[in-house]
Amino acid sequence: MSERGILWRIVAGQILLLVLFLGTVEVVVQKGIVGRLYLSAPTQVVQELVKLLQQSETFRNLYVTLLEFTLGFGLSVVLGFGIGLFLVLVSRAEQFFNPFLSALMAIPKVTIVPLLTLWLGIGLVHKVAVVFLFCIFPIIYNTVAGIKQTSENYLKVARVFEATSYQTVTKVILPSAVPSIFAGLRVSAGSGLIGALFGEMLASKEGLGNMLVQSTSLYDTARVFALITVVTVVSILIIAFINLLEKKVFLRWKSS
Amino acid sequence: MAGFSIRHVSKVYGGAVPTVALEDIDLTIHDGEFLCILGPSGCGKSTLLEMLAGLQLPTSGEIVYGDKILQGPDRRLGVVFQDPSLYPWRTVFENVELGLEIRGVKKADRKNTVQKYLTMVGLDGFEHKYPHQLSGGMKQRAGLARALANRPDVLLMDEPFGAVDHLTRLQLQNDLLNIWEAEKKTVVFVTHDVNEAVFLGDRVVLLSPRPGKLKQIFNISHQRPRERGDAGLLKIQNDIYAAIYENKKQAEPEYHL
Ligand SMILES: Nc1ncnc2c1ncn2[C@@H]1O[C@H](COP(=O)(O)OP(=O)(O)O)[C@@H](O)[C@H]1O
Ligand SMILES: [Mg+2]
Repeated sequence: MSERGILWRIVAGQILLLVLFLGTVEVVVQKGIVGRLYLSAPTQVVQELVKLLQQSETFRNLYVTLLEFTLGFGLSVVLGFGIGLFLVLVSRAEQFFNPFLSALMAIPKVTIVPLLTLWLGIGLVHKVAVVFLFCIFPIIYNTVAGIKQTSENYLKVARVFEATSYQTVTKVILPSAVPSIFAGLRVSAGSGLIGALFGEMLASKEGLGNMLVQSTSLYDTARVFALITVVTVVSILIIAFINLLEKKVFLRWKSS
Repeated sequence: MAGFSIRHVSKVYGGAVPTVALEDIDLTIHDGEFLCILGPSGCGKSTLLEMLAGLQLPTSGEIVYGDKILQGPDRRLGVVFQDPSLYPWRTVFENVELGLEIRGVKKADRKNTVQKYLTMVGLDGFEHKYPHQLSGGMKQRAGLARALANRPDVLLMDEPFGAVDHLTRLQLQNDLLNIWEAEKKTVVFVTHDVNEAVFLGDRVVLLSPRPGKLKQIFNISHQRPRERGDAGLLKIQNDIYAAIYENKKQAEPEYHL
Protein backbone atom coordinates (compact mmCIF):
# COMPACT_ATOMS: atom_id res chain seq x y z
CA MET A 1 0.00 0.00 0.00
CA SER A 2 1.19 3.52 -0.70
CA GLU A 3 2.65 5.66 2.06
CA ARG A 4 -0.35 8.00 1.69
CA GLY A 5 -2.81 5.16 2.04
CA ILE A 6 -1.15 3.98 5.23
CA LEU A 7 -1.25 7.52 6.60
CA TRP A 8 -4.99 7.77 5.95
CA ARG A 9 -5.60 4.46 7.70
CA ILE A 10 -3.64 5.62 10.74
CA VAL A 11 -5.59 8.90 10.91
CA ALA A 12 -8.89 7.05 10.50
CA GLY A 13 -7.88 4.63 13.27
CA GLN A 14 -6.96 7.50 15.58
CA ILE A 15 -10.31 9.22 15.03
CA LEU A 16 -12.12 5.95 15.59
CA LEU A 17 -10.31 5.38 18.89
CA LEU A 18 -11.12 8.91 20.08
CA VAL A 19 -14.80 8.58 19.16
CA LEU A 20 -14.99 5.19 20.86
CA PHE A 21 -13.41 6.57 24.02
CA LEU A 22 -15.63 9.67 24.20
CA GLY A 23 -18.69 7.58 23.32
CA THR A 24 -17.96 5.12 26.12
CA VAL A 25 -17.55 7.93 28.66
CA GLU A 26 -20.80 9.51 27.41
CA VAL A 27 -22.76 6.27 27.82
CA VAL A 28 -21.15 5.41 31.16
CA VAL A 29 -22.16 8.80 32.59
CA GLN A 30 -25.60 9.06 30.94
CA LYS A 31 -26.58 5.58 32.21
CA GLY A 32 -25.44 6.51 35.70
CA ILE A 33 -22.80 3.76 35.86
CA VAL A 34 -20.40 6.41 37.15
CA GLY A 35 -21.87 9.37 39.01
CA ARG A 36 -21.85 12.89 37.56
CA LEU A 37 -19.78 13.97 40.52
CA TYR A 38 -16.81 11.90 39.35
CA LEU A 39 -17.00 12.15 35.57
CA SER A 40 -18.76 14.32 33.03
CA ALA A 41 -20.30 13.33 29.75
CA PRO A 42 -18.33 14.87 26.84
CA THR A 43 -21.52 16.60 25.62
CA GLN A 44 -21.90 18.28 29.03
CA VAL A 45 -18.26 19.37 28.95
CA VAL A 46 -18.80 20.93 25.54
CA GLN A 47 -21.90 22.78 26.80
CA GLU A 48 -19.93 23.97 29.81
CA LEU A 49 -17.06 25.05 27.55
CA VAL A 50 -19.43 27.11 25.42
CA LYS A 51 -20.83 28.69 28.58
CA LEU A 52 -17.32 29.47 29.84
CA LEU A 53 -16.41 31.13 26.58
CA GLN A 54 -19.48 33.38 26.87
CA GLN A 55 -18.55 34.64 30.33
CA SER A 56 -16.27 37.66 30.64
CA GLU A 57 -15.11 36.24 33.97
CA THR A 58 -13.30 33.47 32.10
CA PHE A 59 -11.35 35.91 30.02
CA ARG A 60 -10.50 38.08 33.00
CA ASN A 61 -9.04 35.05 34.75
CA LEU A 62 -7.30 33.86 31.59
CA TYR A 63 -5.75 37.31 31.30
CA VAL A 64 -4.52 37.15 34.89
CA THR A 65 -2.89 33.75 34.38
CA LEU A 66 -1.32 34.78 31.08
CA LEU A 67 -0.01 38.00 32.64
CA GLU A 68 1.60 36.09 35.52
CA PHE A 69 3.08 33.63 33.06
CA THR A 70 4.35 36.24 30.62
CA LEU A 71 6.01 38.39 33.28
CA GLY A 72 7.59 35.42 35.06
CA PHE A 73 8.70 33.77 31.85
CA GLY A 74 10.01 37.00 30.33
CA LEU A 75 11.97 37.75 33.46
CA SER A 76 13.55 34.31 33.48
CA VAL A 77 14.41 34.48 29.79
CA VAL A 78 16.26 37.77 30.27
CA LEU A 79 17.95 36.83 33.53
CA GLY A 80 18.53 33.17 32.69
CA PHE A 81 20.14 34.07 29.42
CA GLY A 82 22.26 36.77 31.07
CA ILE A 83 23.37 34.48 33.88
CA GLY A 84 24.14 31.73 31.37
CA LEU A 85 26.30 34.11 29.33
CA PHE A 86 28.05 35.35 32.45
CA LEU A 87 28.82 31.83 33.63
CA VAL A 88 30.51 30.74 30.41
CA LEU A 89 32.13 33.94 29.27
CA VAL A 90 33.63 35.06 32.57
CA SER A 91 36.49 32.69 33.22
CA ARG A 92 36.09 30.48 36.29
CA ALA A 93 32.58 31.80 36.98
CA GLU A 94 30.97 28.48 36.14
CA GLN A 95 33.50 26.55 38.18
CA PHE A 96 32.78 28.77 41.17
CA PHE A 97 28.99 28.85 40.97
CA ASN A 98 28.39 25.30 39.78
CA PRO A 99 27.83 23.67 43.21
CA PHE A 100 25.37 26.39 44.22
CA LEU A 101 23.45 26.14 40.97
CA SER A 102 23.31 22.36 41.15
CA ALA A 103 21.97 22.54 44.70
CA LEU A 104 19.31 25.10 43.71
CA MET A 105 18.30 23.04 40.70
CA ALA A 106 17.91 19.94 42.85
CA ILE A 107 15.33 21.55 45.17
CA PRO A 108 11.82 20.46 44.15
CA LYS A 109 10.44 23.88 43.30
CA VAL A 110 6.90 23.23 44.58
CA THR A 111 8.21 23.12 48.14
CA ILE A 112 9.19 26.78 47.92
CA VAL A 113 5.77 28.03 46.80
CA PRO A 114 4.16 28.24 50.32
CA LEU A 115 7.23 30.12 51.56
CA LEU A 116 6.87 32.57 48.70
CA THR A 117 3.26 33.12 49.79
CA LEU A 118 4.54 34.01 53.22
CA TRP A 119 7.02 36.48 51.79
CA LEU A 120 5.11 37.95 48.86
CA GLY A 121 1.40 37.53 49.63
CA ILE A 122 -1.09 35.97 47.24
CA GLY A 123 -1.16 38.53 44.44
CA LEU A 124 0.57 39.04 41.11
CA VAL A 125 4.09 39.38 42.53
CA HIS A 126 3.79 35.99 44.21
CA LYS A 127 2.71 34.27 40.97
CA VAL A 128 5.40 35.96 38.91
CA ALA A 129 7.97 34.77 41.42
CA VAL A 130 6.62 31.21 41.25
CA VAL A 131 6.71 31.18 37.44
CA PHE A 132 10.22 32.63 37.55
CA LEU A 133 11.35 29.92 39.95
CA PHE A 134 9.90 27.21 37.71
CA CYS A 135 11.45 28.65 34.53
CA ILE A 136 14.87 30.04 35.23
CA PHE A 137 17.01 26.95 35.74
CA PRO A 138 16.38 25.14 32.44
CA ILE A 139 17.11 28.41 30.64
CA ILE A 140 20.43 28.94 32.44
CA TYR A 141 21.36 25.32 31.93
CA ASN A 142 20.60 25.23 28.21
CA THR A 143 22.24 28.58 27.54
CA VAL A 144 25.44 27.32 29.16
CA ALA A 145 25.26 23.98 27.33
CA GLY A 146 24.56 25.66 23.99
CA ILE A 147 27.44 28.10 24.30
CA LYS A 148 29.86 25.39 25.34
CA GLN A 149 28.89 23.30 22.32
CA THR A 150 30.10 25.98 19.90
CA SER A 151 32.37 24.18 17.46
CA GLU A 152 36.08 24.84 17.91
CA ASN A 153 36.34 25.29 14.14
CA TYR A 154 33.67 28.01 14.03
CA LEU A 155 35.70 29.89 16.62
CA LYS A 156 38.88 29.44 14.58
CA VAL A 157 37.18 31.05 11.58
CA ALA A 158 36.33 34.06 13.73
CA ARG A 159 39.89 34.25 15.06
CA VAL A 160 41.32 34.20 11.54
CA PHE A 161 39.17 37.24 10.76
CA GLU A 162 40.34 38.87 13.99
CA ALA A 163 36.86 39.17 15.45
CA THR A 164 36.62 41.08 18.73
CA SER A 165 35.27 39.24 21.77
CA TYR A 166 31.96 41.02 21.32
CA GLN A 167 31.77 40.03 17.65
CA THR A 168 32.67 36.45 18.49
CA VAL A 169 29.81 36.31 20.98
CA THR A 170 27.19 37.91 18.75
CA LYS A 171 28.21 36.47 15.39
CA VAL A 172 29.34 32.97 16.36
CA ILE A 173 28.61 31.81 19.88
CA LEU A 174 25.01 32.99 20.23
CA PRO A 175 23.75 31.87 16.81
CA SER A 176 25.27 28.44 17.29
CA ALA A 177 23.68 28.20 20.76
CA VAL A 178 20.18 29.11 19.53
CA PRO A 179 18.85 25.54 19.11
CA SER A 180 19.89 24.60 22.63
CA ILE A 181 18.51 27.83 24.09
CA PHE A 182 15.15 27.23 22.44
CA ALA A 183 15.06 23.69 23.81
CA GLY A 184 15.40 25.32 27.23
CA LEU A 185 12.62 27.82 26.48
CA ARG A 186 10.21 25.03 25.54
CA VAL A 187 10.87 23.08 28.73
CA SER A 188 10.58 26.29 30.77
CA ALA A 189 7.36 27.45 29.15
CA GLY A 190 5.68 24.16 30.06
CA SER A 191 6.78 24.24 33.68
CA GLY A 192 6.15 28.00 33.93
CA LEU A 193 2.47 27.56 33.15
CA ILE A 194 2.30 24.74 35.69
CA GLY A 195 3.90 27.13 38.19
CA ALA A 196 1.32 29.85 37.55
CA LEU A 197 -1.62 27.42 37.89
CA PHE A 198 -0.17 25.74 40.96
CA GLY A 199 0.43 29.07 42.65
CA GLU A 200 -3.16 30.09 41.92
CA MET A 201 -4.55 26.82 43.17
CA LEU A 202 -2.62 27.14 46.40
CA ALA A 203 -3.29 30.76 47.26
CA SER A 204 -4.99 33.36 45.09
CA LYS A 205 -8.09 35.39 44.40
CA GLU A 206 -8.12 35.01 40.65
CA GLY A 207 -6.71 33.18 37.65
CA LEU A 208 -7.56 29.92 35.86
CA GLY A 209 -6.05 27.89 38.71
CA ASN A 210 -8.32 29.70 41.13
CA MET A 211 -11.37 28.96 38.95
CA LEU A 212 -10.38 25.29 38.88
CA VAL A 213 -10.20 25.04 42.65
CA GLN A 214 -13.53 26.85 43.07
CA SER A 215 -15.31 24.64 40.55
CA THR A 216 -13.90 21.55 42.22
CA SER A 217 -15.07 22.68 45.65
CA LEU A 218 -18.56 23.32 44.20
CA TYR A 219 -18.54 19.78 42.75
CA ASP A 220 -19.06 21.31 39.31
CA THR A 221 -17.16 18.52 37.56
CA ALA A 222 -18.21 19.43 34.02
CA ARG A 223 -16.85 22.93 34.56
CA VAL A 224 -13.57 21.47 35.87
CA PHE A 225 -13.17 19.41 32.70
CA ALA A 226 -14.00 22.42 30.56
CA LEU A 227 -11.35 24.46 32.39
CA ILE A 228 -8.80 21.68 31.95
CA THR A 229 -9.52 21.86 28.23
CA VAL A 230 -8.96 25.63 28.20
CA VAL A 231 -5.67 25.31 30.10
CA THR A 232 -4.47 22.57 27.78
CA VAL A 233 -5.19 24.67 24.72
CA VAL A 234 -3.32 27.61 26.27
CA SER A 235 -0.33 25.38 26.95
CA ILE A 236 -0.31 24.04 23.40
CA LEU A 237 -0.54 27.56 21.99
CA ILE A 238 2.39 28.77 24.06
CA ILE A 239 4.65 25.94 22.86
CA ALA A 240 3.43 26.42 19.28
CA PHE A 241 4.29 30.12 19.53
CA ILE A 242 7.83 29.35 20.67
CA ASN A 243 8.28 26.80 17.89
CA LEU A 244 7.05 29.31 15.36
CA LEU A 245 9.41 31.97 16.67
CA GLU A 246 12.33 29.56 16.43
CA LYS A 247 11.44 28.50 12.90
CA LYS A 248 10.66 31.93 11.50
CA VAL A 249 13.32 33.99 13.16
CA PHE A 250 16.24 31.75 13.91
CA LEU A 251 16.19 28.44 12.17
CA ARG A 252 15.51 29.00 8.51
CA TRP A 253 18.80 27.18 7.99
CA LYS A 254 17.68 24.05 9.82
CA SER A 255 14.79 23.36 7.48
CA SER A 256 14.77 20.27 5.24
CA MET B 1 56.77 41.26 0.97
CA ALA B 2 54.42 38.40 1.63
CA GLY B 3 56.82 35.60 2.43
CA PHE B 4 57.41 33.48 5.50
CA SER B 5 60.63 32.60 7.17
CA ILE B 6 60.21 29.64 9.51
CA ARG B 7 63.19 29.48 11.83
CA HIS B 8 63.92 26.38 13.91
CA VAL B 9 60.29 25.99 14.82
CA SER B 10 59.20 23.22 17.17
CA LYS B 11 55.77 22.56 18.60
CA VAL B 12 55.09 20.45 21.66
CA TYR B 13 51.52 19.87 22.82
CA GLY B 14 51.27 19.69 26.60
CA GLY B 15 49.22 17.19 28.55
CA ALA B 16 49.91 14.11 30.63
CA VAL B 17 52.11 12.76 27.84
CA PRO B 18 53.49 15.72 25.87
CA THR B 19 53.38 15.23 22.09
CA VAL B 20 56.17 16.60 19.94
CA ALA B 21 54.16 17.54 16.86
CA LEU B 22 56.94 19.31 14.96
CA GLU B 23 60.69 19.41 15.48
CA ASP B 24 63.12 22.02 14.24
CA ILE B 25 61.39 23.10 11.03
CA ASP B 26 63.47 25.51 8.98
CA LEU B 27 61.86 26.74 5.80
CA THR B 28 61.43 29.84 3.69
CA ILE B 29 58.17 30.37 1.80
CA HIS B 30 58.58 32.78 -1.09
CA ASP B 31 56.24 35.56 -2.04
CA GLY B 32 53.77 34.39 -4.67
CA GLU B 33 54.76 30.74 -4.70
CA PHE B 34 52.46 27.74 -4.53
CA LEU B 35 53.93 25.58 -1.80
CA CYS B 36 52.59 22.15 -0.97
CA ILE B 37 53.18 20.53 2.40
CA LEU B 38 52.95 16.78 2.10
CA GLY B 39 52.97 14.13 4.78
CA PRO B 40 51.02 11.29 6.32
CA SER B 41 48.21 11.83 8.76
CA GLY B 42 49.38 12.99 12.17
CA CYS B 43 52.77 14.32 11.06
CA GLY B 44 51.96 17.89 12.06
CA LYS B 45 50.74 19.45 8.81
CA SER B 46 47.72 21.13 10.40
CA THR B 47 49.86 22.27 13.31
CA LEU B 48 52.32 23.92 10.94
CA LEU B 49 49.54 25.57 8.96
CA GLU B 50 47.83 26.88 12.10
CA MET B 51 51.12 28.38 13.22
CA LEU B 52 51.48 30.09 9.83
CA ALA B 53 47.94 31.44 10.34
CA GLY B 54 48.86 32.77 13.77
CA LEU B 55 46.26 30.52 15.39
CA GLN B 56 48.97 28.80 17.39
CA LEU B 57 52.40 29.90 18.54
CA PRO B 58 55.57 27.81 18.21
CA THR B 59 56.92 26.24 21.39
CA SER B 60 60.37 27.33 20.27
CA GLY B 61 61.79 29.07 17.23
CA GLU B 62 59.96 31.81 15.36
CA ILE B 63 57.97 32.48 12.22
CA VAL B 64 58.63 35.75 10.47
CA TYR B 65 56.00 37.02 8.07
CA GLY B 66 57.00 40.01 5.96
CA ASP B 67 59.41 41.70 8.35
CA LYS B 68 57.72 40.91 11.66
CA ILE B 69 57.56 37.90 13.96
CA LEU B 70 54.09 36.41 13.71
CA GLN B 71 52.24 36.80 17.02
CA GLY B 72 48.67 36.05 16.05
CA PRO B 73 46.13 36.14 13.22
CA ASP B 74 46.74 38.78 10.57
CA ARG B 75 44.41 40.29 8.00
CA ARG B 76 46.83 39.40 5.23
CA LEU B 77 46.61 35.69 6.04
CA GLY B 78 43.54 33.81 4.81
CA VAL B 79 42.69 30.26 5.82
CA VAL B 80 40.66 27.57 4.07
CA PHE B 81 39.81 24.80 6.51
CA GLN B 82 39.69 21.08 5.90
CA ASP B 83 36.13 20.89 7.15
CA PRO B 84 34.96 24.13 5.52
CA SER B 85 33.34 25.27 8.78
CA LEU B 86 30.74 27.43 7.11
CA TYR B 87 28.27 28.86 9.61
CA PRO B 88 25.05 26.88 9.09
CA TRP B 89 22.88 29.83 10.19
CA ARG B 90 24.23 32.05 7.42
CA THR B 91 23.55 31.84 3.71
CA VAL B 92 26.45 31.32 1.31
CA PHE B 93 26.53 35.07 0.67
CA GLU B 94 26.52 35.90 4.37
CA ASN B 95 29.27 33.37 5.01
CA VAL B 96 31.45 34.86 2.32
CA GLU B 97 31.01 38.41 3.60
CA LEU B 98 31.96 37.43 7.17
CA GLY B 99 35.51 38.77 7.04
CA LEU B 100 34.48 42.13 5.60
CA GLU B 101 31.58 42.38 8.04
CA ILE B 102 33.91 41.77 11.00
CA ARG B 103 36.24 44.45 9.68
CA GLY B 104 33.34 46.88 9.61
CA VAL B 105 33.06 47.32 5.83
CA LYS B 106 29.61 48.76 5.08
CA LYS B 107 26.97 46.46 3.69
CA ALA B 108 26.67 48.24 0.37
CA ASP B 109 30.44 48.15 -0.12
CA ARG B 110 30.65 44.44 0.69
CA LYS B 111 28.23 43.36 -1.99
CA ASN B 112 30.46 43.77 -5.04
CA THR B 113 33.46 42.06 -3.50
CA VAL B 114 31.39 39.13 -2.27
CA GLN B 115 29.70 38.73 -5.64
CA LYS B 116 33.01 38.90 -7.45
CA TYR B 117 34.50 36.02 -5.46
CA LEU B 118 31.33 33.95 -5.56
CA THR B 119 31.53 34.21 -9.34
CA MET B 120 35.24 33.42 -9.30
CA VAL B 121 34.73 30.15 -7.39
CA GLY B 122 31.70 29.23 -9.52
CA LEU B 123 28.94 29.75 -6.97
CA ASP B 124 26.86 32.21 -8.96
CA GLY B 125 23.21 31.59 -8.20
CA PHE B 126 23.87 29.92 -4.85
CA GLU B 127 24.08 33.14 -2.82
CA HIS B 128 20.90 32.53 -0.89
CA LYS B 129 21.37 28.83 -0.21
CA TYR B 130 22.32 27.59 3.23
CA PRO B 131 25.43 25.40 3.62
CA HIS B 132 23.38 22.23 4.21
CA GLN B 133 21.95 22.68 0.72
CA LEU B 134 25.40 22.49 -0.92
CA SER B 135 27.45 19.48 -2.02
CA GLY B 136 30.86 18.85 -0.44
CA GLY B 137 32.71 20.42 -3.37
CA MET B 138 30.48 23.51 -3.32
CA LYS B 139 31.04 23.93 0.41
CA GLN B 140 34.78 24.00 -0.22
CA ARG B 141 34.25 26.57 -2.96
CA ALA B 142 32.30 28.71 -0.50
CA GLY B 143 35.09 28.30 2.08
CA LEU B 144 37.60 29.46 -0.54
CA ALA B 145 35.44 32.45 -1.49
CA ARG B 146 35.11 33.39 2.18
CA ALA B 147 38.90 33.48 2.51
CA LEU B 148 39.40 35.35 -0.79
CA ALA B 149 36.75 37.99 -0.10
CA ASN B 150 38.80 39.28 2.82
CA ARG B 151 41.57 40.08 0.26
CA PRO B 152 44.48 38.31 1.99
CA ASP B 153 47.98 38.13 0.48
CA VAL B 154 48.42 34.50 1.51
CA LEU B 155 46.04 31.55 1.30
CA LEU B 156 46.67 28.83 3.84
CA MET B 157 44.76 25.70 2.86
CA ASP B 158 44.49 22.58 5.04
CA GLU B 159 43.63 19.51 2.95
CA PRO B 160 40.75 21.46 1.45
CA PHE B 161 39.84 18.81 -1.10
CA GLY B 162 40.44 15.82 1.15
CA ALA B 163 36.79 14.94 1.59
CA VAL B 164 35.40 15.33 -1.95
CA ASP B 165 35.14 12.67 -4.64
CA HIS B 166 37.99 12.19 -7.08
CA LEU B 167 36.52 13.87 -10.18
CA THR B 168 35.29 16.87 -8.22
CA ARG B 169 38.72 17.11 -6.67
CA LEU B 170 40.43 17.31 -10.07
CA GLN B 171 38.05 20.09 -11.09
CA LEU B 172 38.67 21.98 -7.85
CA GLN B 173 42.44 21.70 -8.39
CA ASN B 174 42.15 23.21 -11.87
CA ASP B 175 39.93 26.00 -10.63
CA LEU B 176 42.25 26.74 -7.72
CA LEU B 177 45.22 27.07 -10.09
CA ASN B 178 43.26 29.48 -12.27
CA ILE B 179 42.34 31.58 -9.25
CA TRP B 180 45.92 31.54 -8.00
CA GLU B 181 47.18 32.77 -11.35
CA ALA B 182 44.54 35.49 -11.52
CA GLU B 183 44.94 36.66 -7.92
CA LYS B 184 48.73 36.28 -7.56
CA LYS B 185 48.66 35.16 -3.96
CA THR B 186 51.08 33.05 -2.00
CA VAL B 187 49.47 29.64 -1.41
CA VAL B 188 50.47 27.13 1.24
CA PHE B 189 48.55 23.96 0.49
CA VAL B 190 48.55 21.02 2.89
CA THR B 191 47.76 17.59 1.48
CA HIS B 192 48.46 13.91 2.03
CA ASP B 193 47.97 13.19 -1.69
CA VAL B 194 51.28 12.95 -3.60
CA ASN B 195 49.60 13.35 -6.98
CA GLU B 196 47.78 16.48 -5.86
CA ALA B 197 50.93 18.02 -4.38
CA VAL B 198 52.94 17.45 -7.56
CA PHE B 199 50.22 18.74 -9.89
CA LEU B 200 49.70 21.94 -7.87
CA GLY B 201 52.97 22.99 -6.31
CA ASP B 202 56.00 25.01 -7.32
CA ARG B 203 57.66 23.17 -4.47
CA VAL B 204 56.62 20.19 -2.38
CA VAL B 205 57.84 19.99 1.20
CA LEU B 206 57.81 16.43 2.49
CA LEU B 207 57.42 15.97 6.24
CA SER B 208 58.41 12.79 8.04
CA PRO B 209 56.18 11.52 10.83
CA ARG B 210 56.54 11.35 14.60
CA PRO B 211 57.80 13.88 15.34
CA GLY B 212 57.20 15.91 12.20
CA LYS B 213 60.50 16.91 10.62
CA LEU B 214 61.32 18.44 7.30
CA LYS B 215 62.39 15.46 5.24
CA GLN B 216 63.04 16.83 1.76
CA ILE B 217 62.02 19.64 -0.57
CA PHE B 218 61.14 18.90 -4.21
CA ASN B 219 61.28 21.65 -6.83
CA ILE B 220 58.73 21.34 -9.59
CA SER B 221 59.67 23.82 -12.24
CA HIS B 222 57.31 22.47 -14.90
CA GLN B 223 55.56 25.17 -16.85
CA ARG B 224 51.87 25.72 -16.39
CA PRO B 225 49.25 24.76 -17.35
CA ARG B 226 50.49 21.29 -16.53
CA GLU B 227 49.34 18.06 -18.11
CA ARG B 228 48.11 15.40 -15.73
CA GLY B 229 50.20 12.30 -16.34
CA ASP B 230 53.13 14.31 -17.71
CA ALA B 231 56.22 12.07 -17.64
CA GLY B 232 58.31 14.63 -15.77
CA LEU B 233 55.65 15.04 -13.07
CA LEU B 234 55.35 11.26 -12.73
CA LYS B 235 59.10 11.05 -12.25
CA ILE B 236 58.97 13.52 -9.35
CA GLN B 237 55.99 11.66 -7.97
CA ASN B 238 58.05 8.46 -7.95
CA ASP B 239 60.95 10.24 -6.26
CA ILE B 240 58.58 11.39 -3.55
CA TYR B 241 57.21 7.89 -3.06
CA ALA B 242 60.79 6.65 -2.78
CA ALA B 243 61.54 9.27 -0.14
CA ILE B 244 58.38 8.34 1.79
CA TYR B 245 59.28 4.67 1.57
CA GLU B 246 62.70 5.45 2.98
CA ASN B 247 60.95 7.21 5.88
CA LYS B 248 58.88 4.13 6.46
CA LYS B 249 61.90 1.83 6.45
CA GLN B 250 63.56 3.94 9.11
CA ALA B 251 60.45 3.98 11.20
CA GLU B 252 59.72 0.32 10.80
CA PRO B 253 61.69 -1.15 13.75
CA GLU B 254 59.39 0.91 15.96
CA TYR B 255 56.48 -1.27 14.94
CA HIS B 256 58.25 -4.59 15.37
CA LEU B 257 59.39 -4.05 18.93
N1 LIG C 1 45.41 20.43 20.31
C1 LIG C 1 46.20 19.35 20.40
N2 LIG C 1 46.56 18.85 21.60
C2 LIG C 1 47.38 17.78 21.70
N3 LIG C 1 47.90 17.14 20.65
C3 LIG C 1 47.59 17.57 19.42
C4 LIG C 1 46.73 18.71 19.22
N4 LIG C 1 46.60 18.92 17.89
C5 LIG C 1 47.34 17.96 17.29
N5 LIG C 1 47.94 17.16 18.19
C6 LIG C 1 48.87 16.05 17.88
O1 LIG C 1 49.93 16.56 17.13
C7 LIG C 1 50.25 15.68 16.09
C8 LIG C 1 50.14 16.37 14.75
O2 LIG C 1 48.78 16.69 14.51
P1 LIG C 1 48.28 17.46 13.21
O3 LIG C 1 49.04 18.72 13.08
O4 LIG C 1 46.81 17.55 13.28
O5 LIG C 1 48.72 16.44 12.05
P2 LIG C 1 48.18 16.31 10.54
O6 LIG C 1 47.44 17.54 10.19
O7 LIG C 1 49.42 16.12 9.74
O8 LIG C 1 47.32 15.10 10.49
C9 LIG C 1 49.35 14.47 16.22
O9 LIG C 1 50.05 13.45 16.91
C10 LIG C 1 48.20 14.99 17.03
O10 LIG C 1 47.65 13.96 17.82
MG1 LIG D 1 45.44 17.74 9.55
